Amino acid sequence: MTTGARSPRDDGVVHVIEASGLTMQFGSQRALDAVDLQVHSGITGLVGANGAGKTTFMSIALGLRPATAGTIRVLGLDPRTQGHELRAHLGYGPERNQFPDDMRASDYVKHLAEVRGLPRDEARGRASDALWLVGLGEERFRPLGTMSTGQRQRVKLAQAVAAAPSLVLLDEPTDGLDPVQREEMLALIRQISREYGIDVLLSSHLLEEVERICDQVIALDAGRLVANGRLVDLIGADEGVVVELVEVPDRPRAAEAVAARLRARGLHVRDDVGSRLEVIGPDAGLVADAVRDAIADEGARLGRVVRRRRRLEDLFAGASR
Amino acid sequence: MSDARILDRGYRRYEGRRSGVTGAVRSVAWHTARSILGIGRSGRHKVFPIIVLVIAFLPALGFLALTILIGDLLQGELRPDYWEMFGFSFFPTLLFTALVTPEAIVRDRSNGMFPIYLSTPLTRPTYLVAKVIAVLGTMAIIVLGPPLLALIGYTFQNLGPDGLANWVWVLVRLLGAGLVIAGLYTSVSMAAASLTRRRAFASVAVILLLLGLSIATNLLVETADANTNLLLLDPLGLPLGMAPRVFGETGDEYTGVSTLAMASACAGWITGGAVVVAARYRKLAAV
Repeated sequence: MTTGARSPRDDGVVHVIEASGLTMQFGSQRALDAVDLQVHSGITGLVGANGAGKTTFMSIALGLRPATAGTIRVLGLDPRTQGHELRAHLGYGPERNQFPDDMRASDYVKHLAEVRGLPRDEARGRASDALWLVGLGEERFRPLGTMSTGQRQRVKLAQAVAAAPSLVLLDEPTDGLDPVQREEMLALIRQISREYGIDVLLSSHLLEEVERICDQVIALDAGRLVANGRLVDLIGADEGVVVELVEVPDRPRAAEAVAARLRARGLHVRDDVGSRLEVIGPDAGLVADAVRDAIADEGARLGRVVRRRRRLEDLFAGASR
Repeated sequence: MSDARILDRGYRRYEGRRSGVTGAVRSVAWHTARSILGIGRSGRHKVFPIIVLVIAFLPALGFLALTILIGDLLQGELRPDYWEMFGFSFFPTLLFTALVTPEAIVRDRSNGMFPIYLSTPLTRPTYLVAKVIAVLGTMAIIVLGPPLLALIGYTFQNLGPDGLANWVWVLVRLLGAGLVIAGLYTSVSMAAASLTRRRAFASVAVILLLLGLSIATNLLVETADANTNLLLLDPLGLPLGMAPRVFGETGDEYTGVSTLAMASACAGWITGGAVVVAARYRKLAAV
């Protein structure tokens, strides 16, 4: 019997995940570099490009490989020494879309619920409930090999939640889905967290997706922690504008000069697309005034201005400078 | 008015006991054994296990039928020793080892079950324990089933061992010999299957290993007068050669080879296979 994993929703003290100095070295390559982070209840996005360290972090959190240095606790347990106990309270949806094709969806979900420790009758009932939850109630007796990509992604989610986990780790759960299916999947993940009290760690390279449903973010870049915290704290309520300048022959480097003036005033500027600048600040009005003054001072010619909120990708842009 | 109600069960939390590692091993072993035997799968997956089981049990059933029908006329002439029953199931055991057993672990790596299993209370070692239990258990049905059937059948015909003590002693020796045969074949087939993601490749590897070494060593001993101890390198014949030794007899093929050497060689094959599987799975990426 397993006990000991504490749900943060039942205990306000324990973090869902807590890591300190977490380092993972593969030969000469450092996959995670002294990562310190804390994850609270809710939906947490684990974001970063390929090779950022997301998968390594997930495998350490699952207790599948020990970190080279540092400590990590998941649901109050040490994955390295209490891995089997911890994993009884975790759900996991892998990225790869591989299934035993000749197995029925209900048998697949039931079997994995049993492996996660549920009694057979309970597993059977909960498998059915989980498949109804993800919208596959009518399809639950179909072999997995006959299901579409969207349905298979839902089956992965169903098997991850069927054994009533405290935390679910989902690796690219919207991979291969069309826009409508993606919307539905994100709504399901939101429902699982908000209505059923299951914390979610969602690994994704789609920042826009993470922004829409996550309460918190862990942003990794080449193994380093770029940001960790509540989304609202990280991207805040900052607002800004997208400015498009018209290139004129007598002012060849006007965009660079305008960007420099705006940065000098403490604003966040991205100028990686020619004469297009993204300017972010604490208040849209303040940003607009600063843009107007900079353009006037540099004698640049304004093409278009569009209002814009600060986005998650700005964190990465800031970190890479 | 009717008391019938529609209940919306919805999604519920589970606060009950969880079975932990033991339950996970039991569940995976049971699921794998069913899968190997084609239970709960489509018809085409049942065909081969059924054929193997029929071939395995047919000789034992035949001898049993002869004993029941014309046993008095034969007066025990045609009745084989218990350990000889292992020889009758040699061909189905080989088929099962080569064609069915690799399914147990190759399939998990190609259909994504292996990483999911490792996200449960299972670890690599406990996962492999579950697989060994499943393979050994199903193979034991084929290896041990016929001689056990013969023992029970003869007993009911008053042709079994004399007295309870003798009967239990025969049973123990049958189980011991059967477990050596099933254990060695399980180890070899799992080792071959652990090296590839393709079931067909695993089957070919098992056949080449078992038949290839068997043919080579026997040719060397019989035609080139090589030392008979070379037969210890024959993984196919070795466990079958152990069966008469367990019953206190020498058998024909391993004359001149000591029982200790044969037991050590069996242990070596089983350990070697286990080491290959463990080494392979230690390196296998889960996530």
